[in-house]
Amino acid sequence: MIAQGIRNHHRAVIPYVTAGLPDLDATGRIIAALADAGAAAIEIGIPFSDPMADGPVLQRASHRALQAGFRMDALVERLDGWSATVDIPLIVMSYINPLMRRGLHETLERLRDGGVKGVIIPDLPRDAGRIFAHCRDIGLDLIRLLAPTTLPARAKDVLSQCSGYVYAVSVKGVTGQRTILPEGIRDQVASIKALTDLPVCVGFGVSRASQVNELLGFADGVIVGSFLMQRIMNAHDPVQAAHNALKSIRNAS
Amino acid sequence: MKGYFGEFGGQYVPETLLPALEELESAMDEAFTGKDFRDELDSYLSDYVGRPTPLTHATRLSEHFGCEVWLKREDLNHTGSHKINNAIGQILLARRMGKQRIIAETGAGQHGVATATVCALFGMECHVYMGSVDMARQRVNVERMKLLGARVVPVDGGTATLKDATSEAIRDWIANVDTTYYLIGSAIGPHPYPTMVREFQAVIGREAKEQILRRTSSLPDAVIACVGGGSNAIGIFNAFMDDTAVELIGVEAYGEGNGRHGASISFGSPGVLHGTRSFLLQDRDGQVKDTHSVAAGLDYPGVGPQHSFLAATKRARYGLVTDDQAVAAYKLMGRLEGIVPALESAHAVGYLEQYRRDNRGKKVLVNLSGRGDKDIHTVIGGAS
Repeated sequence: MIAQGIRNHHRAVIPYVTAGLPDLDATGRIIAALADAGAAAIEIGIPFSDPMADGPVLQRASHRALQAGFRMDALVERLDGWSATVDIPLIVMSYINPLMRRGLHETLERLRDGGVKGVIIPDLPRDAGRIFAHCRDIGLDLIRLLAPTTLPARAKDVLSQCSGYVYAVSVKGVTGQRTILPEGIRDQVASIKALTDLPVCVGFGVSRASQVNELLGFADGVIVGSFLMQRIMNAHDPVQAAHNALKSIRNAS
Repeated sequence: MKGYFGEFGGQYVPETLLPALEELESAMDEAFTGKDFRDELDSYLSDYVGRPTPLTHATRLSEHFGCEVWLKREDLNHTGSHKINNAIGQILLARRMGKQRIIAETGAGQHGVATATVCALFGMECHVYMGSVDMARQRVNVERMKLLGARVVPVDGGTATLKDATSEAIRDWIANVDTTYYLIGSAIGPHPYPTMVREFQAVIGREAKEQILRRTSSLPDAVIACVGGGSNAIGIFNAFMDDTAVELIGVEAYGEGNGRHGASISFGSPGVLHGTRSFLLQDRDGQVKDTHSVAAGLDYPGVGPQHSFLAATKRARYGLVTDDQAVAAYKLMGRLEGIVPALESAHAVGYLEQYRRDNRGKKVLVNLSGRGDKDIHTVIGGAS
């Protein structure tokens, strides 16, 4: 279902937004604004105290959201309302610990009940077979990441337990904006596409409309996180800022 | 399952790092099975580190506590703590793997100093991540690392202590994984680190067991060591694991009590931090809690996964010592034995105050994991 949505979307850009920044009401309005600006899907980030795969911008976003009093229960309560207002898939991205705290399976079911269509967990255990099976059983896509360092045998294993889309990490590094795309990203996407029929979306480091243009030439979608969160955090009107940022990065010629 | 201690351990890491962990594991397996690596390691341990370290019968301390106290003197290692055992082992491995750039995290600075030392010894580039709070309270070690040619990178994120330094080291590793070896200082992190660090620290227990048997003709009743991440403790426990009559006691930092502490096993619940599943101090949403200990090396919200397993299976038990009790033990050791222990190690000594109540006359082996010159400022200044 997520896969179909991405394939059918014109210029599929998937924004990532840290939940609870400046508060959950604002997150709801930001989600609506991003959908209005043409997002293909939205990744809702659960803030975490120790985001080891994130660069400075998303670390700061996490930290601020926690300072502002983010609570998991409050998020889960709102999911239903958010998913009812948009007609694109909502995806939750979280480090594994906040999801495991009150039982991973139960938490995933609560997300599903809130209308969430997929989850991304950057620090899944090496063998995630049981987690994938549970997601499949409850009707949740488990979107997996593949890195530039991932070897072909591992990529095959991961792809056999992946649904929704493949999150191709563009760089060896943490999340954050970079001015140039790494060499080899085109080959990386091609080699993933040779192994799967799932859409392949590229994330990490995307901060310019020209990069989005280039990536959409060979990838099925582009994920934009730090670029957007920096604009949201710097703005007086975060909702308008989110809308403008997505429009500008998605629609450049 | 591979890389697990019961339900604890594992590899909860970004996909980018998995190939590096595999490469490390095969290098480790190859090194541990071959004789030449052992020989090389042993020669550095004896000729550079100064091993074996002595076992000291602390007679005045024994009299004070009414127990027979034996101290394993890891404070007498080159660089002043047990951390060098692991640093020298891992740097030899890094060399075999052809890595030239070394990164490390440090809390008290002892592991940072050990890493900077072995990097200098082998002419390798060294970057040590350290929380800015820790840099302020362990200034001497910061200067030592710089003298040894290391770059000390301040970490301001989160609580600016060991956990944040560890996160930042992991971020560096993700970005530079091709060229860089991450030299973890404790028995934490994703597999194979907890096993590898234990193997490099196991020399402590091997020597101590042989020494105490030779000197006293019997095993100790208890082995006591402080636990932050838990590398010195796992190193000394390892030799006594199958000697079930020997009680294994880890001592956690109880800080100021009342929620301001670093006692993950005593007060935590299972969770994932820095790539491993273990007991963790966290709130009801799985956010990692702030910790506190007067000993920077114990100021960590997690613990090595094997300790969680030993606690869950009751092979070891874990006690608590407060900041004040540790400082008291720090001073007591100086006066009674002429030995100034690291504040971390002072937690193990301080536990004797509780242990002796029900164990008069028992024979106790205490791991004196490091020396306390670095802490004089903290103790005298009353700062924490």
